[in-house]
Amino acid sequence: MTVSTAQVTAEPAGKFPKIDRFIVSVSLLGMALLASLIWLETAPFLVGLFFVGALLGIALYHGAFGFTAGWRNWVVSGNGTGLRAQLFLLGLACLLIVPVVSGGIEGTAGTIAPVGVSLVVGSFLFGFGMQLGGGCGSGTLFTVGAGNLRMVLTLVFFIFGSVIGTLHLPFWLDAPGTDPIQLAASLGPWGAIALQWAVLAGLWWLIGRREKRMTGKTSHGLLERDRSVSVVRTLLTGRWPFLWAAVVLAVGNLLTVILSGTPWGVTFAFALWGAKIAQFIGFDMTQVEFWTWDYGALALRDSLLVNVPSVMNFGLLLGAMLAAGMANKYNAGSQNPLVWRSVLAAVIGGSLMGYGARLGFGCNIGAMFSGIASASVHGWIWFASAFVGSLLGIKARPHFGLGN
Amino acid sequence: MEQMYKRWRVVVIMIAILVAVMADHLRSPTFAFNMGQGGQTTLMQRDLGACAPCGAPCPSARKE
Repeated sequence: MTVSTAQVTAEPAGKFPKIDRFIVSVSLLGMALLASLIWLETAPFLVGLFFVGALLGIALYHGAFGFTAGWRNWVVSGNGTGLRAQLFLLGLACLLIVPVVSGGIEGTAGTIAPVGVSLVVGSFLFGFGMQLGGGCGSGTLFTVGAGNLRMVLTLVFFIFGSVIGTLHLPFWLDAPGTDPIQLAASLGPWGAIALQWAVLAGLWWLIGRREKRMTGKTSHGLLERDRSVSVVRTLLTGRWPFLWAAVVLAVGNLLTVILSGTPWGVTFAFALWGAKIAQFIGFDMTQVEFWTWDYGALALRDSLLVNVPSVMNFGLLLGAMLAAGMANKYNAGSQNPLVWRSVLAAVIGGSLMGYGARLGFGCNIGAMFSGIASASVHGWIWFASAFVGSLLGIKARPHFGLGN
Repeated sequence: MEQMYKRWRVVVIMIAILVAVMADHLRSPTFAFNMGQGGQTTLMQRDLGACAPCGAPCPSARKE
């Protein structure tokens, strides 16, 4: 049973809206099965990470926290609410995570990556691809979890592009580049936080200035929600204000650091899933240089249930499914028939995101969010380069029948 | 009200994913280790010497 958004909000205050009991039951059953399996076969910290992934999926869905649309809204209409929410997220995560990975908790390490041609090209391609694909790494995952068929196609080609990216990454790594640059190493954790906050404040001002020029006002929608609906009901069925989602995402990333030792990442798992499928159909991926590096080799040989990004992605998918069921909007994104140009955009966008994520050392989450939260310069370069790619992607969207 | 999806499709997809994860797990060193058939589990796959989350080496190490 489904109802439209208008029908859901038309429910009288205090009365709980209809939830999709089938989807909620299936997602909870899936979570229970997978969590039990991880518990029995692996270790408790992986069960914890599975549930952190589920929480992140709920926050992404209920907060409609998409990096892609946030960037596009500001570029096209000047509305900076989504982009400002992302800056808030980066600032909070940096405050929470930099001190931890800079010696605050022994055994943890930040997300770092080399700075060079590979990073710039990869993030540019990713930025272009995410506007055609309709979502970034986490955006693709949570919309797939919510039953969006077009995004399933994007995910399939994301995985395909990731595998091709693993074949080419060693070539790109030989192009000019330097070792990772960590701000906390030279400025100390608090100096790094102060510098990053100054940059974020500058961007905040810039976003607002352009927004005011284009729309005549500055929106303050970070805490905006339907006030006729109780807080508890909003928490369970959405839609969350951006700020709620940002806080959950930042705290979720901190929990990921504490449990796994490193910040959150999404797209390595896509490459791993693709490589395992390639192995299954007869390709020997163990001969590919990427899969001879220690981490890749261990991950390829062993179970997905001991690979942190995979376990968290499973949780995220099921969390988004649960949230969509609670909101009674499962599969709501697939109601319009797919036209071939939109399908082509999903194929191209997904492939470019997959390829770009390997060259750029991750997506908006693994490279930008976790990189900046670790005060690594590569996170900022990823942000800038992907934004430029995204500008071209936004221009290309109408050619594929996609609205801006 | 008309349903936006077919229930059986959701169930089939969920079962297919579970079967794929199980098939991968049953062939893994972790499962063999748990069954007492030798092998070694890799609960901690992190490579602290790597220069990127994917395990890529540093450019300086590649030049050596």
